[in-house]
Amino acid sequence: MTAPRKLDAPTGLRPGDHVCWTFADTADFSAAVLPFLDEGRRRGEQLLLIGSSRPELLRILAPLPGRDDLLASGQLQVQSTAGMYASGGTLLPTEQVAAYRSLVGEALDRGRTGLRVAADVTPLARPGPDARRQLHVYEQLADAMMGTVAMTALCLYDSSLGAEVLGPVALLHPDQHSGEQEPLAHLSGRNPSLSLHGEVDVTQADGLFRALVDVAGGTPGEVVLELSDLRFLDVAGARALARAADVLRGSGVQLRLVRVPRVAARCLGLFGLSGGDTVLT
Amino acid sequence: MSGVRPTGDWNGTGLAHEAFAFGTDQELVDRVVPFAVEGLSRGEPVLVVAGERVRTLLAEELGPDVARLAAFTAAETWWQGGHRTLHAYDRDLRALHAVAPHWRLAAEPTWLGRDDGREWSRFEAVANRCYASLPYYSLCLHDRRRLPASVLDAVARTHPLTWGGSAPVAEPAYEDPERFLRSVHPAWVPRPARATVAALTTPREARRAVSAAALDWWPARTGEVVQAAHELVVNALRVAAFAEVSSWTDGCTLVVEVADSGPGLPDETLGYVPPPDGPDGARGMWLAWSLADDAAVDSHPAGTAIRLFFHR
Repeated sequence: MTAPRKLDAPTGLRPGDHVCWTFADTADFSAAVLPFLDEGRRRGEQLLLIGSSRPELLRILAPLPGRDDLLASGQLQVQSTAGMYASGGTLLPTEQVAAYRSLVGEALDRGRTGLRVAADVTPLARPGPDARRQLHVYEQLADAMMGTVAMTALCLYDSSLGAEVLGPVALLHPDQHSGEQEPLAHLSGRNPSLSLHGEVDVTQADGLFRALVDVAGGTPGEVVLELSDLRFLDVAGARALARAADVLRGSGVQLRLVRVPRVAARCLGLFGLSGGDTVLT
Repeated sequence: MSGVRPTGDWNGTGLAHEAFAFGTDQELVDRVVPFAVEGLSRGEPVLVVAGERVRTLLAEELGPDVARLAAFTAAETWWQGGHRTLHAYDRDLRALHAVAPHWRLAAEPTWLGRDDGREWSRFEAVANRCYASLPYYSLCLHDRRRLPASVLDAVARTHPLTWGGSAPVAEPAYEDPERFLRSVHPAWVPRPARATVAALTTPREARRAVSAAALDWWPARTGEVVQAAHELVVNALRVAAFAEVSSWTDGCTLVVEVADSGPGLPDETLGYVPPPDGPDGARGMWLAWSLADDAAVDSHPAGTAIRLFFHR
């Protein structure tokens, strides 16, 4: 697992890839979804498209080669976001991940090579901080699961959600596409402990604080954050980690930073984070 | 000795910062012993950090009272470069502040005798501002026999008080900290035509540009150069739409300049002010200054330019 990858096209993806893709409008949405699904068709994967409504999605799918046959054979399924997620009104991260895990199993049982999902999850990010906390927990659990099963996911977010909402969400994906912007950091759950990859600077700091507090804040106890793959950390990024550690401590969670590289130790030391309740190895 | 008032009118509510330069052992004893004894009689923590000669003299004069000092420490092991030394000193001060209403310190910065210790005068200058409200008397001891005239001159210009014979008095040579810093920073010469110049709008672009320049110069210090320049760029982008980042080499020295068209730097001393305890508060300039070997500031209402100097 290394720094986040900037995706210029929604193709060349394999099981395990988990993409955050922001789109500006319907044309942008189609331009991402169609090549993504077509690649899955060619790879013999089970395809699932999730978005605002079935009729709308079927319209978007019109140019997809072999659309009608795919729908008729069941290789392509279409669902509304509300139907797939949050059917009881709230997103339940653990249950949702379990549901995807069994969909992967079913796809393999049917002879497909895996499950490929394109999902417009914008509605899950809109309601407010509590819903977004659930979304962050979910994205992290989903990312961890995708490291272990034959699933490829394109998480689509409307760019009008804004930087405050998209910042933490993007960080939770190893593959990112946000216009011309280069992705810098990935907060990964694919290792035995949480790990931070890439470069964390002032532009990522607020997103990191939010994502980290949300995914680490579930249950009291120790949470280990592995930093060995961090290639840059600035004062603002270290401040975000210090603030996250403070907030988490308030809810009984001890954030322990391990395998701190030199490049990160410099700034962490300015916040007293190189000793005490953190461990440098 | 009657009529001597070792701390004059100091009432323990703020910083008193005196430089005492001595030419003989007796001058030293006559100044420091009454200073320490007065502190002990007032129940203040009295700390002494000094070189071996000064410690030996004071131990003989103070006798058993040495055991009553809150600290009696060798200065020789203290020097770790200006920023690290001040950071350690700063932590000690804060720990003391948490438990004592006021205290006094007699300190001999022996490292001023070393070439690489001269920069300590900058921290002495800035302490007058950033420690102004800390309740302690800092009596700084300087041995005229050991220190060159240029260092003694900087000592006078960075300490508002000197010894008047029976009480501290105002030091006529004392200068405002920013004025002192400007006089000791490298001269602000025009940027050479060979400099690489780029106008950048994101910190990431600036890191890439500075990294390329540092790799061409000396790869071993690239991490430090990038980190230091990055923090300046972040500051610049807070007040301006773009930062102009330029770099050039001058002999073995790499110079990185970050300029913006913001409203000017409100406080040119920030690179020498230790970071606060909590997560809030600026640290970027402290970090940049501590990573660089030297710095210079050109700030006016139409913008700020900061140069960092790295020696190979």
